[in-house]
Amino acid sequence: MIHDSILRDRLVTGDKSASDVTRDIARPILNNPSTAWKIGFTLSLVFLGIFGVSLLYTLYTGIGVWNINKSVMWGWDITNFVFWVGIGHAGTLISAVLLLFRQKWRMSINRSAEAMTIFAVICAAMFPVFHMGRVWVGYWALPLPNAFGSLWVNFNSPLLWDVFAISTYFSVSLLFWYIGLIPDIATIRDKVKSKLGKNMYGFFSMGWTGSTRTWARYELVSLILAGLSTPLVLSVHTIVSTDFATSVIPGWHTTIFPPYFVAGAIFSGFGMVATLLVVARKVMNYENYITIGHLDAMTRIIMVTGTIVGIAYLTEFFIAWYSGNIYEQYAFTNRAFGPYWWAYWSMMSCNLIAPQVFWFKWARTTPWFIFIMSIVVNVGMWFERFVIIVTSLHRDYLPSSWVMYSGSLTEIGLFLGTFGIFFTCFFLFAKFLPVINMAELKSILRNRE
Amino acid sequence: MSNNIKYWKGEDELTKNPSFLAAQRNEFHDDLPLDEVFNEEGVELQANRRDFLKYFGFSVTAVALAACYKTPIRNAVPYLVKPEDVTPGVANYYRSTCGACATACGIEVKVREGRPIKVDGSVDSPISQGGTCAVGQASILSLYDNERLANPLSNGSEQTDWTALDSEISAKLKSVVAANGKIALVSGSLHSPSTLKAIEAFKGAYPTTEHVSYDAVSYAGILDANAADFGKRALPTYKFDVAKVIVSFGADFLGTWISPVEFSKGYTKNRQPNAEGGMSKHIQFESSLSMTGTNADHRFPMRASQEALYVATLYNYIAMGSGARQIPVPQQGELAGNSIKKTADALLKAKGTALVVSGSNNTEIQQIVNGINMLLGSYGTTIDMVNHSNQYQGSDVKTAEVLAGLKSGSISAVIFYGVNPVYNHSKDWAEAIKKAKVSISFASNKDETASVCQYVCPDNHYLESWNDAEPRKGLYQFTQPTISNVFNTRQAQVSLLTWANANIAMEKDPFASKGIFSQKLQASPFYNFMRNNWSATLGTDDAFNAALEKGVLASGISEGGVSYVGNVEALASFVSSNSKATGIDMVLYQPVGVRDGAYGNNPWLQEMPDPVSKVCWDNYVALPKSLAMKLEIAEGDTVNIKVGDVTYNNVPAMIQPGQANETVALALGYGRTAAGKVGGSVEKGYDTVGVNAFAFANNTGNRSFVAKNVDITKGDENYKLAQTQTHHSIEGRDIVRESTLGAFKKNPKAGNDMPETHIYTIWEKAEYRKDGAPNHLWAMAIDLNSCTGCGSCVVSCSIENNVPVVGRDEIRLRREMHWIRIDRYYAFNSAEGTMTKDDEIAKVDASGNYDHWQNVNVLHQPMMCQHCANAPCETVCPVLATTHSTEGLNQMTYNRCIGTKYCGNNCPYKVRRFNWFRYNDNDHFDFHFNNPLGKMVINPDVTVRTRGVMEKCSFCVQRVQEGKLKAKREGKSPNEVVVQTACQRACPSNAIVFGDLHNPESEVSKLYKNERGFSVLEELNVQSSVKYMTKIRNNDSI
Repeated sequence: MIHDSILRDRLVTGDKSASDVTRDIARPILNNPSTAWKIGFTLSLVFLGIFGVSLLYTLYTGIGVWNINKSVMWGWDITNFVFWVGIGHAGTLISAVLLLFRQKWRMSINRSAEAMTIFAVICAAMFPVFHMGRVWVGYWALPLPNAFGSLWVNFNSPLLWDVFAISTYFSVSLLFWYIGLIPDIATIRDKVKSKLGKNMYGFFSMGWTGSTRTWARYELVSLILAGLSTPLVLSVHTIVSTDFATSVIPGWHTTIFPPYFVAGAIFSGFGMVATLLVVARKVMNYENYITIGHLDAMTRIIMVTGTIVGIAYLTEFFIAWYSGNIYEQYAFTNRAFGPYWWAYWSMMSCNLIAPQVFWFKWARTTPWFIFIMSIVVNVGMWFERFVIIVTSLHRDYLPSSWVMYSGSLTEIGLFLGTFGIFFTCFFLFAKFLPVINMAELKSILRNRE
Repeated sequence: MSNNIKYWKGEDELTKNPSFLAAQRNEFHDDLPLDEVFNEEGVELQANRRDFLKYFGFSVTAVALAACYKTPIRNAVPYLVKPEDVTPGVANYYRSTCGACATACGIEVKVREGRPIKVDGSVDSPISQGGTCAVGQASILSLYDNERLANPLSNGSEQTDWTALDSEISAKLKSVVAANGKIALVSGSLHSPSTLKAIEAFKGAYPTTEHVSYDAVSYAGILDANAADFGKRALPTYKFDVAKVIVSFGADFLGTWISPVEFSKGYTKNRQPNAEGGMSKHIQFESSLSMTGTNADHRFPMRASQEALYVATLYNYIAMGSGARQIPVPQQGELAGNSIKKTADALLKAKGTALVVSGSNNTEIQQIVNGINMLLGSYGTTIDMVNHSNQYQGSDVKTAEVLAGLKSGSISAVIFYGVNPVYNHSKDWAEAIKKAKVSISFASNKDETASVCQYVCPDNHYLESWNDAEPRKGLYQFTQPTISNVFNTRQAQVSLLTWANANIAMEKDPFASKGIFSQKLQASPFYNFMRNNWSATLGTDDAFNAALEKGVLASGISEGGVSYVGNVEALASFVSSNSKATGIDMVLYQPVGVRDGAYGNNPWLQEMPDPVSKVCWDNYVALPKSLAMKLEIAEGDTVNIKVGDVTYNNVPAMIQPGQANETVALALGYGRTAAGKVGGSVEKGYDTVGVNAFAFANNTGNRSFVAKNVDITKGDENYKLAQTQTHHSIEGRDIVRESTLGAFKKNPKAGNDMPETHIYTIWEKAEYRKDGAPNHLWAMAIDLNSCTGCGSCVVSCSIENNVPVVGRDEIRLRREMHWIRIDRYYAFNSAEGTMTKDDEIAKVDASGNYDHWQNVNVLHQPMMCQHCANAPCETVCPVLATTHSTEGLNQMTYNRCIGTKYCGNNCPYKVRRFNWFRYNDNDHFDFHFNNPLGKMVINPDVTVRTRGVMEKCSFCVQRVQEGKLKAKREGKSPNEVVVQTACQRACPSNAIVFGDLHNPESEVSKLYKNERGFSVLEELNVQSSVKYMTKIRNNDSI
């Protein structure tokens, strides 16, 4: 039975049958990799190499090879961390929240969005780990029973909350993604020719039979996990924002941070999903599955969250003025008109002003334009984190310690390198796993009767 | 029932099918399908179980072997027979005399297990009065300089045998004397009675010897003026402690001039405001902003080339006021906005407690200054010409004569003792020395002069030497060795005596039978010589030992007066001819860090930020804003400077607030070409640090350190100076509080009378902070009125706490490691009032008038970890590496730190320092932490931090612990615990007080109740443990 109104645009166009879906979506997995895939994958490996070189250099020499200094002790590293964690938000939002709200349009995009989440969190995790001066004892941040006497972690520290928030988010996202993959992996298992493939997919499909009982359990687990991960959508970036909000530094010490960070994270997450899907639907011929309707819906979210973030920026300014606190006032004036004005205005124009074009239908339905805009959004969100971190630290309370900061080649290399990690993972994912949830998608085909 | 039921797997087992039984011997009944799988994929798997075990075994062994990296074994060998006076872990303190400069401060040397590791002032010495300067602090590192000469040099090659060298040198010197050739012994200012006696002995053996004193930055102007006016060529003893009005013309008496520690101690005595108005007034006229100028109540820009006119004008006003005759010079109109007239009035009002000093090396100017002081009745009150100072005696004229004599060949042999004229007098010396038949240097490093000498007979470091000193007439101090010679060096005095064949005098110890030193120190013949020399006054062992233990022997103050025969009026023509100002002047000054360059190879001094500009590791041309705008020079640009035929291109430029218009300044002491790896060495391939400004000094007559008509143009290159502070105004923030003496008299809370901060908290006060709690509560109080900004504490802290030196590039990246820094803020004075905000200053700049740049107020604020009770750093550390002690200390556990750096970010005072690299045993940081000898200066009580951990001021927790243990051992009450932090101990102005707040009698408790006390950023409720005393300026009216 179909719950959707027939008056609505179809979620899957092209009059696809269930077998079409399987054929289309399993094609890249069963066939040899295309030239485009090979080029893209090679390029990703190059960037992965850049990451490796930059990281080895950092680990061998010391994080002094970055340009952070006595006042700005976090720079590109934590900027990149927050940037990637933010990107990692759309996955859970799409799969969990939209599932709970029974937004069926999510079915074409949730798989890739979840994959993106996992890869983005991996990229993000690189920075808090390797920004540590002594990464080899980094495990001390975990509450492990130890032989060091009565040493324990400090539950007051937001950095410790981060450890829990990120690891919980990562494990739940991974689990959710994997559970969702099981029926599709089983489909591939049945189609794949090679023995190794059969074994591997067979192993990971965990003996999926497709019986009604398994389906019922599958649905139930999905629902439970969706329920579990929904609060995570809010909690992860809330906790990331407390890295700043609990401090005493003007520009960081702000109660608006949790909602503003969550909105920003969704904003950047959808930006990244849009970037990936606009390309993927073209290259992999998935226009019938990831339709203009999907792009339209995502751009609406981008516009709304962008506006929320923009209002947060303005609110911060207002509160700085209203508080009467000269340090706070200076921090915000300095952001907009100080030496880092270019970063601030890049952020403002990319995050608040640019998404307003999505009021126009043309902008929401033109894939190449959406692609450009999604890049703009991501650039803007990177700058947002840079502005928050660097402009607050470089001029805080005592003017004697005011400094300037700009990233070193190694820091830039590490940032570019995380794109290597991200896309290497993503290309492997696109080659070996179905990027669209075939099983779910089949449930919304109109011609299935 | 026995169990004999048999189960079988199947029919095959029951029937004992042979093929089944064979198969059963295999662990796996069927072959694993791996081969099949891999073969299908085109991969061959040939390995069987044996192969697998082989590979596995090999891999494990390989990994195990690779992991067996053998760490080097370092043995700590205990004493077989423990020396009587050495207890491992317990420091010994020896009184001595600092040999870093001729000032001869009395010091106390801390020795741990036979290694001197710290130098601090001796409270019994009237010169140091317990304080030290940065140079004195840092001088200990020169003992452990691995670039010191390990052996004497003969024509550039090392010679280990002193005896052979002695006979060669003696023979050569004798032949010089036989041919009636002259020998010149050029030394720094010497006032050691025993050394002078040794030189006399040398002169006795080589009668053609002339002893010439040469000071790189000389006081010949004052010496010659006093010779003319009082018939006595000596520096007077200046008594800043009794001066109520101090006027200085370019004399940096708190930083570098004559005896800065002594003067700082005296000066700050009268800088405490009190209701009776007991605070002194300090007026400074100068071209460039000196450290002393930053402390002045009134500071007026003065063109250095017009100093004669300024001084003469002041003389005339004072003469007018006291009915004496004026110098007949034409009136030049108003100088410095009528300030000289007002200065004269202030001085006249304070007759008898007034003091005028000038930093000029010009005899005539100093004669006028003498005249002023005479009119003010300063002689006998603020100036003591009877108990004169011996600290500097150099004669520029005689030095120039030696140079001329060497050039002409009339001097055939030359000996350099503690001087380096090739670097700091004139390049001509290099050629001239080569002409001499014999040239000897006593330099301990192969410096510029030693490099061109035939023989280098390296002198001991002063911490390896016996010596005495007479820095002031009738005041004797002693130097005793605290370590045996590190290298094969020999005290210069011993060399001279040996060549004079005065061995007998050195071998004979009149008290050898009883002397406690005699047995141990037979290797130090100068001890015997000195002991003999003192046999008349200190006849007994007890007397001598008591004098050594105290380090000081005062023979009493002589009464009497001096007769003034000066005639100031006769200087009219000099004043008239020196009053015209043309072109641009350049002032060459000694920086507080490396001074005259003798310590150019000392990394602590190179890394000590200049007290005014906060620049490290370079000298630079300080430009006034007006000139910089004219030449279109911004920060980071360079300039080309040309004086006469000396040109330096692309010298870094810096716009210096307070720099007088039409003047520039350049620091001496840089541009060493044979200092070493730190200071630069052409021979060893290390870049020179800065440029040598001595080249601009005018060597005719008394050396002039003011160059006139400087040709200055913008350079082609850019150069980023390494500065530890780059923002210079407080932006109107309530970080430093100040007021004036007038306001203070009305309200002792003036400047500090802020509305009460209402801080609400849901937390109860911690038990240990409550009044009457049984623990200590450590706290610090810093008096901004006393702090002069000299930086002695910065170096002292670095030594005490093993703070690494990081070098110029790291400071450019803003990563200096100092645990204590001195924040220096400018306030610009213009017609619109005092400005502390950049945008206000820029607004006035836009009018094209830069007078406010000349006219600045300066504040120094020492800043270190504030040990907040509610420390923002503590809550954010994920691993509890920084915690609070129950004695109020914010502690850093290096071992636990994982290096997230959040604590550093969250510190509102930005006092936390991160180990970005491993700073020890790292060739990239080739300072004293990178060689075994340099590491001997490491304080064994403090951990050397590893890469990747945070560090910061600990309130010298090791000293706190030591003080507590000592009191406990001696059965004293907690209130009797005495702890002095390293910064406090070094401070020459008593600005830092540390102590226990739970002891109501402690000085810090009293200061905490002082009306002037405030905490920085109090409104954050971090509850810092450091209180600052509001700065009070005596500048209501001049």
